[in-house]
Amino acid sequence: MFKKLLFATTASPTCDNAAKVAFDLELKWDAKLFVFHVLGVPTRGYSPFVTDIRTGETEQVDPDYIEWVIEEMKNTYGELLKDSENSVLETVVGTPHREILRKARKENVDMIVMGAHTREEDVGATRYRAIAGSTMQKVAKAARCPVVIISRPCTTCWKLFSNIVIGTDFSKPAEYAFRWAHKLAKTVGARLHIFHAFDISSGNYGQARGQNEIEEKIEEARKKIEKNYISKMKGYDNYSIEIWEGIPYVEILKFARERQADLIVMAHHTREIDPKLAELGSTVEQVVLRASCPVASVNHPDKVADLDI
Amino acid sequence: MPEGKLCNKKPVNTKEELQALLTDKSGKQYYEEMNHLDVDRKALWGTIQKSFKSRLKTWLEICSHCGLCGEACFYYLANNKDPRQVPSYKIQQTLGKIIKRKGDVENAFMQECMDTSYAKCTCCTRCGVYCPFGIDTGIMFSYLRGLLFSQGFVPWEMKIGSGMHRIYRAQMDVTVEDWVDTCEWMAEEYEDDWPGLTIPVDKQNADIMYTVNAREPKHYPEDIAEAAILFHVAGENWTVPSEGWEETSLAMFGGDWEACKLQVESVYAAMDRLKPKRMVVTECGHAYRATVIEGPYWAGLKSGKTPVESLHYVEWVAEALRTGKLKIDPSKKIKEPVTYQDSCNYVRNAGLGDIAREIMSYIAEDFREMSPCREHNFCCGGGGGLNGIGRYREQRNIGLKVKRDQILATGAKLVIAPCHNCWDAIRDLEEIYKIGIRWSFLKPLLINMIEVPEELKPKEE
Repeated sequence: MFKKLLFATTASPTCDNAAKVAFDLELKWDAKLFVFHVLGVPTRGYSPFVTDIRTGETEQVDPDYIEWVIEEMKNTYGELLKDSENSVLETVVGTPHREILRKARKENVDMIVMGAHTREEDVGATRYRAIAGSTMQKVAKAARCPVVIISRPCTTCWKLFSNIVIGTDFSKPAEYAFRWAHKLAKTVGARLHIFHAFDISSGNYGQARGQNEIEEKIEEARKKIEKNYISKMKGYDNYSIEIWEGIPYVEILKFARERQADLIVMAHHTREIDPKLAELGSTVEQVVLRASCPVASVNHPDKVADLDI
Repeated sequence: MPEGKLCNKKPVNTKEELQALLTDKSGKQYYEEMNHLDVDRKALWGTIQKSFKSRLKTWLEICSHCGLCGEACFYYLANNKDPRQVPSYKIQQTLGKIIKRKGDVENAFMQECMDTSYAKCTCCTRCGVYCPFGIDTGIMFSYLRGLLFSQGFVPWEMKIGSGMHRIYRAQMDVTVEDWVDTCEWMAEEYEDDWPGLTIPVDKQNADIMYTVNAREPKHYPEDIAEAAILFHVAGENWTVPSEGWEETSLAMFGGDWEACKLQVESVYAAMDRLKPKRMVVTECGHAYRATVIEGPYWAGLKSGKTPVESLHYVEWVAEALRTGKLKIDPSKKIKEPVTYQDSCNYVRNAGLGDIAREIMSYIAEDFREMSPCREHNFCCGGGGGLNGIGRYREQRNIGLKVKRDQILATGAKLVIAPCHNCWDAIRDLEEIYKIGIRWSFLKPLLINMIEVPEELKPKEE
């Protein structure tokens, strides 16, 4: 399932939790791991200067500087590299989301692993928050492969996962997310929790929804899950179905917590790519920032279409 | 030492030479070598005799030193009206002296000429508008840059840039394969949101052949996708050439006349090969000037025109909005105060001032003109290659003050800058002076404002 992995890192403590997961995946799945850092944002014109993403300092890039950054990365990941068997460190200049997507496409990786900032005390936290928030959004939206975002320590090895939550809104991308989650659950023998939150906030403001309507919708969703998903699981019976009402990101977080989820899988297919609007508006972003487990975003069929499920 | 290893009179023609230059951080060794570079006086005077013709001769000769050009120069204004920043003075002290001395000049003087022609003039040609004789000092400085290049006195980044054009026919190391692959990639990435979106490569007889700035495939390929989306929605029959897609010319800024010719010929060859009805160039000012205004002369085209009619992106946008190919949703017009940066390279060189106002009338509810504007607008502060030269960062940052004050006076927080270079300078001025503005190309703004026909919207599943 994971032959090639791309760990997109800021090479700062922000990504430490993600790093552990990435290197663990490399070992346990015998995968090739690209440890990839985009070191600077170039200017629009043809200026030789780049802005270092971590420090915000202006730098002039040359081979020495790149070598120095690679050395820094080796120090940062020294412990993890000791056990690593098949990883490559690489750094480039560019706009982070663009270069991450370019690399993922070029190597045809099976999954992208990223960190998400949660710690205010980190150096350059504000800058990073601004860049990483939108980077995460843009990568998650456009990547052809699943993108897993890790913001808090994840000590469970992926092969030992016992609870995987798939949050669906019944969109096409959500179906891809389901296929991937199912495949992973089957591979590692985890229980698959198929979850839908009926969004009670999306109606007209001030208009409360009646209990009857909510119950109807919930019943409708259950039927949809049975028809669209359960029928495709070919007898895999280690699953549960749950439908709650509320604000989707809150409900999915509560549910994941209740089931002690090791992983939340969702589709991130908002059409809103303006980071300012999407940052607050997107369910995925909210889930990523608050979840205590990794969150995987799957939006495209490329890596799930021929999965045998 | 007559010739340095990196700094010499020979242009860069191989990848090895280019790599050697790039490895020299900030051009440290390069500029050190420049201190020992000999001036080939005979060759310099020979070049002048062949290329210094009646127009430039007359200009240098008839300048009456009236000083009217002083107030016209943003450097003069930004530097507290320092008389040494008067354009007439600047050119007489440099090119004027070289001519007077028949090319008999020293290394130190050539370096002084280089510093003046890059860090005291962005070739914005504004002074030419105010000279009673019509003397265009910007043009003369461009000429001086050519003389300097032939003697090896050229800023490190410009030497690299001209080498890129010679090797890749692009200002950055983007190969034909990279370019074509980027087009495929962008179509792939955006087709979910824009069903049927394609970026057709090398299509014969299209209505529009679209060309770009190498920065786009290199760092900001979404710009290409945005252009594709707008052509798609407008229903244009368009294409991009696999070769000859790059419009910019760092060779023009660096004074490498030979590379200028090579570069535009690659674009004209694409026109001959694909036979489009028209060519449209991306939101870049100097690219348009190089390929559409100056290029035909470099390539020796008798007509003085490009092989097919060529439009700047703003001309296409105005036409698309005027004819209804693109329709603006009235509720999505820009409501906040917004101003517009006229790029010197297409407002003074091609008179695209009215076109810009026409666009603004369609998309903005509260359009605020900068003062002065149109043909009288000041350079963004980073033109003529200055944004790209590390050696002159300080001088550039002082120059940015004029644009800063112009923007502040409008009260607008959003600046539309349909030029890569202006975009960059305005971004930098915000980073340096923190005046709380945003800046944008037209494309992303338009995509958020246009009415998308039902059949082009993604089907909800």
